[in-house]
Amino acid sequence: MHRFLRLSVLLMGLFAAASTFAVDAQTPALTTEDDLGPAIEQPIEFPHVRHAKDMQINCMYCHTYARRSAVAGIPPLQKCIGCHQYIESVKDKPRIKTLFEYWDAKKAIPWKKVHDLPDFVRFNHERHIKRFYFQQNRPVQEVCGYCHGDVKEMTVARRSKLLSMGWCVSCHQKEHPVSAEGGTPVGNQVPWYSMKKPPADASGKVIKAKGPNDCSVCHK
Amino acid sequence: MMNSGFDRRDFLKVLGWGGAAVALSGCGNGSVEDGKETVVSYVETNDYMIPSISVYFNSTCAQCDAGCSITGRLREGRVLKLEGNPDSTINRGKTCGLGQAGVQHHYNPDRVREPLLRTGSSGEAITWEKAYALIAEKTKGVSGEEIAFLSGGVSGHLKVLLGNYLDSFGCKNHFAYEAIAPAVLRAANKKSYGVEMPRFNIGKAKVVLSFGADFLGSWVSPVHFSQQYAQFRKGVDGQRGVLIQVESKMTLTGANADRWLVVRPGTEGILALGLINALGAHGVALSGDVAAAVKGYDKARVSKDTGVSAEQIDKIVALLKARTPSLVLAGSAAEGYAHGSQNAAAINLLNQVLGNVGKTVEVAEVVPFPQMAPTTGNTAALRKLNDGLAAGKYKVLFSYAANPVFTAPGAMKFKDNMAKAGFKVVFAHYLDETALQADLVLPLDSALEDWNTQVPEYLATCAQINIQQPLMEKLHANTRGMGDILLALLKQRRAEEYKGFEDYYAYLRGAMLKNKAALGGGKLDDDTFWNETLSKGIVKLEGRVGGLSGRASAAGLTLPAPAAVDAQYPLQLIPSVNASLRDGRHTNQPWLQESPDPLTTIVWDSWVEIHPRKAAELGIVEGDIVEVSGKNGSIKAQAYLFPGIHPDAVSIPLGRGHEAMGRYAKGYGVNPFQILDPVFDKETGELALHETRVKISKAGSRVIVVKDEGVVGGMQMGKKIAVRVSSDKVKLSEEV
Repeated sequence: MHRFLRLSVLLMGLFAAASTFAVDAQTPALTTEDDLGPAIEQPIEFPHVRHAKDMQINCMYCHTYARRSAVAGIPPLQKCIGCHQYIESVKDKPRIKTLFEYWDAKKAIPWKKVHDLPDFVRFNHERHIKRFYFQQNRPVQEVCGYCHGDVKEMTVARRSKLLSMGWCVSCHQKEHPVSAEGGTPVGNQVPWYSMKKPPADASGKVIKAKGPNDCSVCHK
Repeated sequence: MMNSGFDRRDFLKVLGWGGAAVALSGCGNGSVEDGKETVVSYVETNDYMIPSISVYFNSTCAQCDAGCSITGRLREGRVLKLEGNPDSTINRGKTCGLGQAGVQHHYNPDRVREPLLRTGSSGEAITWEKAYALIAEKTKGVSGEEIAFLSGGVSGHLKVLLGNYLDSFGCKNHFAYEAIAPAVLRAANKKSYGVEMPRFNIGKAKVVLSFGADFLGSWVSPVHFSQQYAQFRKGVDGQRGVLIQVESKMTLTGANADRWLVVRPGTEGILALGLINALGAHGVALSGDVAAAVKGYDKARVSKDTGVSAEQIDKIVALLKARTPSLVLAGSAAEGYAHGSQNAAAINLLNQVLGNVGKTVEVAEVVPFPQMAPTTGNTAALRKLNDGLAAGKYKVLFSYAANPVFTAPGAMKFKDNMAKAGFKVVFAHYLDETALQADLVLPLDSALEDWNTQVPEYLATCAQINIQQPLMEKLHANTRGMGDILLALLKQRRAEEYKGFEDYYAYLRGAMLKNKAALGGGKLDDDTFWNETLSKGIVKLEGRVGGLSGRASAAGLTLPAPAAVDAQYPLQLIPSVNASLRDGRHTNQPWLQESPDPLTTIVWDSWVEIHPRKAAELGIVEGDIVEVSGKNGSIKAQAYLFPGIHPDAVSIPLGRGHEAMGRYAKGYGVNPFQILDPVFDKETGELALHETRVKISKAGSRVIVVKDEGVVGGMQMGKKIAVRVSSDKVKLSEEV
């Protein structure tokens, strides 16, 4: 009994110490799903609301790499200028002035990453956009919004989803309709290498499959 | 020991809970790092530049002179990896380890980034305008004889510009220097075959008898020869080729040979003549002069001189007779003596006696632009320059792609002589030993940032001009390409002639387009031709084919008897050439430092190879620090016992022992160049690398040799996986 007590005191102490240390080591406090990420100061306070909501510009008009590559990337400066050189009405606004200052100096804008996964995680934009936007024809803002939140209501983008592993898995465990031609889901999972599935089985029911669940899909 | 009833199992439980606590507080989004890193976008970009998607550009490897074509993989505008370009007939899509390390030349943290002007003992960063003005000032009124330009081997348009710059002074003092180049062989080939570098067709040969030519490691064009070797091993007519390597210190090629014969250092030529004699005795027809020349080289004498048994000679002769065509190669080990030319001539004569000339020794094609043909480097040039410097002949000295302060034998006192030049300009990537002696250091673009054309010395199956082009933006704003610098210097001299060329790129493009028809683009418009050329990275040409003379003659062939044993310095020093480090110009690429030497598996350090028998005689064990001393100084390094070396020789690898050149090179190992005896080949004046005699003694301490091979590695874990058979025991009947 004596021995047990001593051990539990030690246990509690160590547990507390280790937890405190671990919390100290990481600046963001525990968050819940509803929490926003920290507000981030960007070189130019880019108004997503203006572009995506008021102007109804497709997300992929600027974030053109998202459907072509693993990373969404930031559009080249020439893309901003491509439009803004013809938009006289806002040319004197401070943000646009700053934009042209970068352009004239031929300097890249040092944007801060808002959604920055750890280096051991590999998220592929192209694959997700192919599946949900091109194959299932869902609205682009909804598709991007699964992970990026309601960006069209934001000025500077702010993280609004957890982006933790559990959060990713929670979606991969859901059954999503499979809409492309060919193949069958393996083990009720969408094989990571192919999205080609029959839209319906013999009975006419829509086939659904979970997202891939292999470690190596994201941790390469 | 704590004795409180708190045992190991309890302790582990506590640890486990601690871990769980850390893991719990790590839940949530603790590892998502918002707003910390910057994502840099392009300002302007091509459509094909997509983040995370690789693009590929073709260029030419500049790590050695072999001229392999490479393809660089880029992501986000940065070059990540180099691979071989499959279109090249030289390397056919492959590269060697040295080539792979090319990215570490480019990203090296110790590159020179600003022009540096000497003020006292340090360098002061200056602008390029000031640097050019300074060169103009220092060369003003200086006659051509008072200017010397030292370089490595050069070819292509860079050579043309360099030639024109020197011409503008009426200067004829261009010294092309390579510390380890087959220069003696070139001269011998010229005599025997009429060309300096014929094509050696290893793939067609049924027997290759190589006298110390490390063609798989570092000799002439190793990537090309490795592929030929694969063909040779597959065999012609189902007969697997047999490789016999004769040398005093085992090379990588020697380790791959079917039969490795150790020969007394310097007696390679005697063995070649002995083989001719024996072939004659076995019924091979010899011309009168050849028969006369080899008359004295009977088996008994040759065997006594070379240490190769009479039985072995018989076996080789039988093999050479039974299988034709064969190919005999004279490598650096045979060249490196005062009678190196004679050795090489004797070996070439053996090729002719065997009837290989025209079969496996073929004529090479020549690029039909003689002004672009390579000016190959040698050591005779350095000697001439050194003499001139010692006499104080030069007011201005330029140095490009050479590091003679490191690679010249210490006895030549190059460093002291260099100080006698009035104004010393060094074009450098790094502050190496030679750059540190300069008055003005001009920083160069890396090979992955610069424009160039190159004509390789050894052409494989067709004549070709290699294109070197930038794979990415410059890393440092104030480095310049060598071509741009030469153009700027030429504009100082001949402004009218060169005013049309904004930069070297414009010059290169103009020059290539002018010869569009001759370069095979006659039907294309300029832009199409130029873009195709750049995307291919190679221009293949209809080469001009000369003829081989095939007149190796025995006239004037006199080989000295093996040198008598020097009582004071009984051992021969063999400075060995490692496939990665070569002459030490890339020692600051850590991949090369850490890739184990193929034979000893040692990394990051020098070693002295000693035969186990000799070591036992001297009481030396592996790891003993030994002092190797000769007439011209001594060096200390760890001993490594190695059965693949002649008992009367020791070997130290070249390339290490830098006193400068940055964090990855400085202070690792020793530099055997420094203790070489200044002995020269009698015919060509080339430095005889293998002519240094030394003695060794234990210096007291002992270290653990850092190597990949385990303590029982040499024994193959005691399992005798590949059993070593002494070459006397090899049965010829089972081999052929």
